[in-house]
Amino acid sequence: MRYLLRRLGFFVVTLWAALTLNFFIPRMMPGNPVQALRDRTHNKLSPAALQEMLTSYGYKPNQNWFVAYLDYLGNMFTGRWGVSIGGSSLGEPVTKIIGQALPWTLGLVGLATVIGFVLGTLAGIVAGWRRGSRLDAILPSVMVVTSALPYFLVGLLLILFFSIWINGFLPSDFNYDPSIPPGFSTAFIGDVLSHGLLPALTIVITSVGGWVLTMRNNMITTLAEDYVRMGRAKGLTNRRIMFNYAARNAFLPNLSGFAMSVGFVISGAILVEYVFNYQGVGYLLYNSVQNTDYPLMQVLFMLFTVAVLVSVLLCDFATAWLDPRARAKG
Amino acid sequence: MRRSKTIVVLMALGMLTACQSNGKTTANSSPNSTAETTHKQGGTVTISNEQGQTWPCQFNPFNPAVNLESLGFVYEPLIYVNLLKNQAETPMLASSYQWSADKKSIVFTIRDGVKWSDGQAFSADDVAFTFNLMKQTPATDLYALWTGAGLQSVAANGNQVTMTFSDSAQPYFFNFANQIGIVPKHIFSTGDAAAHPDTWEDPNPVGTGPFKVDPCSPNNIQYTANPTYWQAGKPYIQKVEYPAYLDNGPANNDLAAGKAQWGSQFIPNIKAFYLNKSKDNNTWSPPVTNVNIFPNLDPSHPDTSKLAVRQAIASAIDRNQIALIGEGGQQPAANQTGVVTPTFNKYFDGAALSAAGYDKPNVDKAKQLMSGAGYSASNPLKLTIITITGYTDWDASLALIKQELQPIGIDLTISDLAQQTYDDRLYNGDFDLAYYGEPGGPTPYYELRQILYSKNSAPIGQQASFNYERYKNPDVDKLFEQYATADDATQVDIIKKVEAAMLKDIPIIPTTESVDWFQYNTSDIQGWPTKDDPYCQPAAFNAPDAEQVLLHIWSKSAQ
Repeated sequence: MRYLLRRLGFFVVTLWAALTLNFFIPRMMPGNPVQALRDRTHNKLSPAALQEMLTSYGYKPNQNWFVAYLDYLGNMFTGRWGVSIGGSSLGEPVTKIIGQALPWTLGLVGLATVIGFVLGTLAGIVAGWRRGSRLDAILPSVMVVTSALPYFLVGLLLILFFSIWINGFLPSDFNYDPSIPPGFSTAFIGDVLSHGLLPALTIVITSVGGWVLTMRNNMITTLAEDYVRMGRAKGLTNRRIMFNYAARNAFLPNLSGFAMSVGFVISGAILVEYVFNYQGVGYLLYNSVQNTDYPLMQVLFMLFTVAVLVSVLLCDFATAWLDPRARAKG
Repeated sequence: MRRSKTIVVLMALGMLTACQSNGKTTANSSPNSTAETTHKQGGTVTISNEQGQTWPCQFNPFNPAVNLESLGFVYEPLIYVNLLKNQAETPMLASSYQWSADKKSIVFTIRDGVKWSDGQAFSADDVAFTFNLMKQTPATDLYALWTGAGLQSVAANGNQVTMTFSDSAQPYFFNFANQIGIVPKHIFSTGDAAAHPDTWEDPNPVGTGPFKVDPCSPNNIQYTANPTYWQAGKPYIQKVEYPAYLDNGPANNDLAAGKAQWGSQFIPNIKAFYLNKSKDNNTWSPPVTNVNIFPNLDPSHPDTSKLAVRQAIASAIDRNQIALIGEGGQQPAANQTGVVTPTFNKYFDGAALSAAGYDKPNVDKAKQLMSGAGYSASNPLKLTIITITGYTDWDASLALIKQELQPIGIDLTISDLAQQTYDDRLYNGDFDLAYYGEPGGPTPYYELRQILYSKNSAPIGQQASFNYERYKNPDVDKLFEQYATADDATQVDIIKKVEAAMLKDIPIIPTTESVDWFQYNTSDIQGWPTKDDPYCQPAAFNAPDAEQVLLHIWSKSAQ
């Protein structure tokens, strides 16, 4: 119990620290929303008129920072997130903007992360089991390379191969074809899937390697354990030893790694969304920073922080439940 | 590859000047004066104009972040003014207008028989309401008509609307007649719209224009033709698709593949990437403003405030090479007078340019000037020029300029800054040299006044509005002040005198001319604006010019 309370306390302190940084760092960046809007309207309108416009959307240029900070903390917790003050989303409620983008990111990046994790873990189990085989000779070395490839490079190569060379075989941008009315029709769902394929592939290709490598190494360590030898001596099937004896134990470190990476799903793979023109939250973050859109930026940062912290917290709880030693130490 | 700076939308500023001195257009003239054959209705056009963001589906014409998607499409101005054709006028919601002799008041005759897209009748009341709304809610007065232009009252009487000003108002005609979209009183005087006309979302705009929004999603705006549009038989095109492109890459891919027919952004290597893909792919990008080197003229910057150094730079650079190599031949070379040619040829003083010796590069003269100032290739003057990260064509141009300045004794350092850091330093005068283009306007007067008028300047450390180089010349100020009340011929004269100051003082050094990016596909859609028939500014981001394109184009397959 003490362990759990300590983890909870840590969670609250970290959340407060992150929220504070999220407030101050954007405001210390060069520029301000008026200037960003001035750039966006190509200097055609007077800064005074633009400031007036932004003020009517709730921007307070001359507010005391401390007061603004307290307001901000209060608003973050009560969900009064305000309206966007930058870019072409000027005046749109932040909740609506994020509500439109979040499902796409959860669908694309979330699914791709899970697929990458499942594939990688299975491949790692097999490679570790057949240690020294041809598969084990090739797979890890290939995976070292793919896990080191940057997102954007893989994305651009995929676009080149599947979209440009094969003449538009797979779409390289957007999350669906705007000419198909959204709904539960086969045409629309197929279209969404085909638009998600290349970006999902990018994430799977770059993430699968890490899972394969750690899973394989864990497997090899576990296979040397006495209880595995015991299983063999008992004459159990290979399949049973592989999955129920070895993989089950080797899987634990990978699982906590996965809990961490789920936290990062919400921030979306910003680069992937950017390269594929995929309109999720990662892309939103990029735009809000470009436009110095404080309300949108700070809510996005808060969501990312909360997502990471919550998954770390859940992981802590899971560890405490699975591993008595963690409880004892706490 | 984002090129927002090239999207020079010439909506012009709230403080500037006159277009035409003849005060009257003929009553009841047809909106499209040139005799024109009519076409059958039908067809779809798709716009490819990189926005960098998804659509918010707001169409409030007073919101500067979204009004380019409603002005011209849904909301119409009183009179359309064409920058590319010496400010030729097309009457839209006003069928004619009449200035008073002292230009302090103007009477618009409002067109009969116009209906809002919800079926209600449009009247002079709506026009007066729109302008008075801007007085009540200053945040909607984007062009500062009530505060800066001296607008005193706007009143409707029958089918006429009278606007009175405290001073000669001709300088603001472009703004109030061409840039303001008229909104329906019956919508904007009730509910949320009346409570917050500046921030109201206006998701289903009701206008008089040729199109209605139907429907809008974050990925795409679909406009469908307004069946009750007041120009019978128009628009010919029945549907406009306007996808939200987040980046130039996909926007250009769709143009090259023919999926989009109306392009409005920079295409690198346009010949191979776009023009050669189909014989129906065309481009015509008219120049509208200058890209310049801004030297800091404040005495605290001793090198760049020295005339000889600026003269040397202006003589040494080869503008044709910069246009050809730096801009890949897609932007024309500028000239030292600061007048954009051929768009504003009427004002251009070519003889003065040659007489001053700036019609072609002169490296020897530049070397002499620099050695007079004590510098040479072996003992160079070190200067830094600031530019914006990501403007790759500007980087290429600057690399070339650096090469060209090296032999005359200037060692140029190119400093790429993030947009907002750059803005801070430009506005506050914290630079030796800066690379920049002003927003410009419908005549060279607008751009030259932005750059040279001393009231647009500010002391170093304070934000200047446009005169970033901090040029102050009382004679030039006086010229700008005379311009507003001058007749047409005198205005041309005044601009030529300003050009003389540009040649004498070298306050800035124009290098290339920014263009209005425009690509169009003619396999199905016909009637595009062209070099020979520049009936409006062609890029989709020009408001309200886009309406003129939409009223002219037609589909071959629908005939």
